[in-house]
Amino acid sequence: MTLAGTVRRLAARLIPRRARLEAEHTTIQDVETIPRRRLTLVIGLAVLLVTIPLITLYLLLILSSFADRMLSGPDIFEARYSLENWKLLFQGKLEPAAAQLYTPRDLLVIIANTFIVALGVTAVVIFTSVMAGYAFSRMRFWGRRRLMEFMILLHAFPGVALIIAVYAIYVWSLSGIPRDVLTAYRFTYTIFARAALEIPMSIWLMKGFFDKIPWEIEWSAMIDGASRFRVWWQIVLPLVKPGIAALAIFAFLAGWEDLIYVHVFLYTGGIKTLATFIEEVIGNIETAYLPIAAAAATLYLLPTIVFFVLTQKLLLEAMSGGVKG
Amino acid sequence: MALPKPRVNPALFFLIPALTLIAIFYVVPLFLSIYISFTPLKNWNIQKYLGEVTTYNYERLIHMIRYDPDFGMVVKTTLFFVPVTLLINVLGGLALALATFLMEEAVSLPTRVLWILPRMTPVAVYSLMWYYFFLGDASGTLNNLLMRLGIIDQPVNWGNDPNLLPYSAWTILVIVNALVGVSFGMVVFYSALRSIPREHIIAARIDGASTWQLVRHILIPQLRWHLIYVTVWQLLSLLTTYTHIFLLVKWGAVHKYWGSTWALYVFNKAFEAEWGSEQGLAAAAATILVIIGSVLGLIALRILGYGKMMGEPRGEL
Repeated sequence: MTLAGTVRRLAARLIPRRARLEAEHTTIQDVETIPRRRLTLVIGLAVLLVTIPLITLYLLLILSSFADRMLSGPDIFEARYSLENWKLLFQGKLEPAAAQLYTPRDLLVIIANTFIVALGVTAVVIFTSVMAGYAFSRMRFWGRRRLMEFMILLHAFPGVALIIAVYAIYVWSLSGIPRDVLTAYRFTYTIFARAALEIPMSIWLMKGFFDKIPWEIEWSAMIDGASRFRVWWQIVLPLVKPGIAALAIFAFLAGWEDLIYVHVFLYTGGIKTLATFIEEVIGNIETAYLPIAAAAATLYLLPTIVFFVLTQKLLLEAMSGGVKG
Repeated sequence: MALPKPRVNPALFFLIPALTLIAIFYVVPLFLSIYISFTPLKNWNIQKYLGEVTTYNYERLIHMIRYDPDFGMVVKTTLFFVPVTLLINVLGGLALALATFLMEEAVSLPTRVLWILPRMTPVAVYSLMWYYFFLGDASGTLNNLLMRLGIIDQPVNWGNDPNLLPYSAWTILVIVNALVGVSFGMVVFYSALRSIPREHIIAARIDGASTWQLVRHILIPQLRWHLIYVTVWQLLSLLTTYTHIFLLVKWGAVHKYWGSTWALYVFNKAFEAEWGSEQGLAAAAATILVIIGSVLGLIALRILGYGKMMGEPRGEL
């Protein structure tokens, strides 16, 4: 379901006649999970209650992006609102310093860089862990248990401590790279290094999803003469779409929000992403003009929300038929 | 089924891409870092210090744990922060996933979007939002709210007030990190719930199961693997996490030591000049963290029944 779709559905609830039709439809669709509308109401209210602080925080952030200062609650009626921050952001006048001096930046390039890293990490993570997760779930090989255990324990090593050494390897490998592909190499290295951090977790996640698929499905396909690879590709993969959706969310976000790896490998080469850019704007909290950061942050949130909603749709679609075994 | 084994295990084909990346970007750096922990590396002066090998860093750390009150605060903070946040993350994630699973989609999706926002927010902005929420003067969101409700009449310096320390600082750490961590459990559990065959749920409903019985006997038992996974994963994450509180400590929103976990201490020690810029000592502290994490992780896996979950694949043809 797209954002627009959600809005439309929510709007429909407010209109009595359409709401009744809609309710009828939902009742039929979800008869097995939702027997009573009162249940939704009770759970909904409970969740809303714990969500209030979250809603407050994000409303303040979005309001701040239109205001002349960072808002913290009581001052929302005293601030002056305009589109000034957003205008500055899109004009690329992104770092207002004292005396309104601006350093011009190309926002489109920054956004494109962010997408390259995020989508790159997503692709690498999905490709590697969907393969490995299948092997761990379905195949017998030497050291299977130990390797799986080792994988989760790898996570105990802080990324901070790793990066010292990852950086050393990077510097060492740079000497062999021709100048004209240096930028491409920087991106590639960042993507692979960042993806590597996500892979152990993703393999664990995928294994859990592969485990849920009945063995009979594979047996019957293999008896029919399909190769192991074909079974994996054509039969099993479509069944783990919800898992891939969850994986994609985490991988995309990891790439999209990464600060440390991007900072070390790309920023030193003059390549910026939204995250490093925002970090730069906030810089010194005492002197920075923060509403611009609020605007940049709001902008930063939009693609992640769209991506999340899209993967959720995939998740629902994939499972609406249930697993047929 | 006694078919002849192929010469090359087909599993290798599926494993190689992942294992290569893990080796280059995980295993090799891991050993390099352990090596650095045995050198007196300071101020990133690699040429000068990297040749020496000494156990001085570890001796100093042990001494600090026993006698240095500042470092003692960091240890106590970590001991409080990790288990409390873990409990909230796992149970909160489970509760949210079940709630959103049982809700109608038109309410469920916006709820899930809201709860994943903290994870999506740039770390610097997220810290900024909490900085203003817990600000010590009257313009802080929490102070202002409580003063309007008449609960307090003076603004409270939540992160630094000596009367409230260490619990106020610890509460801030837990809230800030739990809101990020809860969404992890929510996404994993929700996806898992969605992948339970609908027939199971329909059958239970036909047999007259109440919602509570459905949750207790059908849904939660199906989440076993995911529960283990989220618990162990979050445990290790929490031991090594620092980014979301890094700026709060730097800006003075929480007490310098009561607001620092061991992992943040490692980062500050290595990268922040005012904390010392001693990479050797930081690497040693990181190595100890790794050992603690590995041991705790192994114990958690045993307790939660990892062996059973990793049963042999039964479909080899």
